[in-house]
Amino acid sequence: MPFYEENPKDIKQADLVVAVPSYNEAESIGHTVEQCSKGIKQHFSYLSSVLINCDNHSTDKTRDTFFSAPVDVPRIYLSTQPGEIGKGSNLRNLFVKARDLQAKVVVVIEADIKNVSPHWIRNLAEPVLKGAGYVCPLYLRHKYEATLTSSLVYPLMRCLYGRRVRQPNVGDFGFTGRLLDSFLDSPLWTESVRMYGVDIWMTTVALNSRLPICQAVMGAPKIHRMKDPYAHLSVMFQQVVRTIFDQMSIYSNFWLQVKWSKPTSLFGTDSHEMETPLPVEVNVSQLHERFLQGFETYSGIWERVYDQTICPKIQEIRGLGLQHFSFPTQTWAKILFDTAKAYQSLGEGERVSLLDSLLPLYLGKVLSFVKKTERMSLQQAEEYIENECTVFEENKPYLAKIWE
Amino acid sequence: MSRILVVDDEEHIRLLYSEELKEAGYEVITADSGYKLLERIEEEKPDLVVLDIKMVDYNGLDLLQDIRNRFYDLPVILSTAYDTFKEDMKSIAADFYVVKSFDLTELKKKIAMALETRLPT
Repeated sequence: MPFYEENPKDIKQADLVVAVPSYNEAESIGHTVEQCSKGIKQHFSYLSSVLINCDNHSTDKTRDTFFSAPVDVPRIYLSTQPGEIGKGSNLRNLFVKARDLQAKVVVVIEADIKNVSPHWIRNLAEPVLKGAGYVCPLYLRHKYEATLTSSLVYPLMRCLYGRRVRQPNVGDFGFTGRLLDSFLDSPLWTESVRMYGVDIWMTTVALNSRLPICQAVMGAPKIHRMKDPYAHLSVMFQQVVRTIFDQMSIYSNFWLQVKWSKPTSLFGTDSHEMETPLPVEVNVSQLHERFLQGFETYSGIWERVYDQTICPKIQEIRGLGLQHFSFPTQTWAKILFDTAKAYQSLGEGERVSLLDSLLPLYLGKVLSFVKKTERMSLQQAEEYIENECTVFEENKPYLAKIWE
Repeated sequence: MSRILVVDDEEHIRLLYSEELKEAGYEVITADSGYKLLERIEEEKPDLVVLDIKMVDYNGLDLLQDIRNRFYDLPVILSTAYDTFKEDMKSIAADFYVVKSFDLTELKKKIAMALETRLPT
């Protein structure tokens, strides 16, 4: 049960729950809640609905702003206990409450999105009403936005679970109430899941539920409050990758049976004009430097963990220099597969070092992607990523072999 | 034997695909338009659909969305004369695409891959 709940209208049942997780979001939550409310009123006025703010006991009046926003949908405020932070903790409280409310559809929208609009609620909820089990948005993204997803999360998840979900850890979702039990009963509830790992954790649970997955075309980029993309890179990288590797162990009976991959259904392809994604600047020298720094600290780990063909290959890549830098996708796929396998047999401290040692290689892969795609359009870069995914799928037998 | 439904409004393409795919060991059925395509799929239960994108009366990409919504896991391969369709996001609901050619090597390869794709049910 949540530590704290305010339910002023004493709502006991809701078909549609729209939830906004938060931690100190007083500045932005009012706008987000207003847009969500408009979405509910415009598109789902025939359903019983509620807006839930699931909060980390914010100290900046997030709760007050949530309740004072001028909306006419009933509201419930949930909070973790003081000091317990993390989006995952908030969502766990949401799952419990949504199950109590017998929700048929749940939509999650992050609190700090500047350009959230009412049709986003429709795009994430309507596919569920039409039979989808889980809906991931497809935001318009610059080719260098969310490189962790493009270079690691998407190809690996697609190769493992066989479904082409392009933005599986984007942070906003729609899902059927039938998944609430699966979320609450999942055996994995780690520190990483309580934090940044929760988004990929939810998608993985959904992929393993066998329910139909839909991708909703949002027609717009997702514009957050300004953040430094490298400020939390190491922590986020650890938590996301750790969550994927932890779930690989739980769901190995599923993914070992998967061969190649299949598309999802789509929603929202006709509804709106496409906007243009915001430009993203990449510092290639910094990426190269961080890749090279990895050799000083992590060569020993790499030699212990990777297949004997990999380390000479990494040395070869190192020797290419920035101008001719290229990181073959097959090498990258094998590195991830070897790391995933090694992770399973290590203790906690060694796991941290292992994932730290993967980070410079990931930055090298990003650098290679940037260099290969710098003259490409967004669509061409997407095709390049699709081809990389095929390389992952072609090499999956190697993963199956070392796993078993 | 896997059953393949070829949907194309050009007769010579239907003939070419039928002949070559039959030779490759598939059972082939054809449709010359998207008219009542979903009902046809329901009745004939193909294992895979090869779908032309540009037909005189039907947009293959719209038909693809309908197929995906009703037959979630039915493999669909888009067949097209030009690859400009990739600018349309609807195309990502297809398993694969091929550019039309008299050499069906690529099509046969994609059909084999689509048919051997395996997800636990």
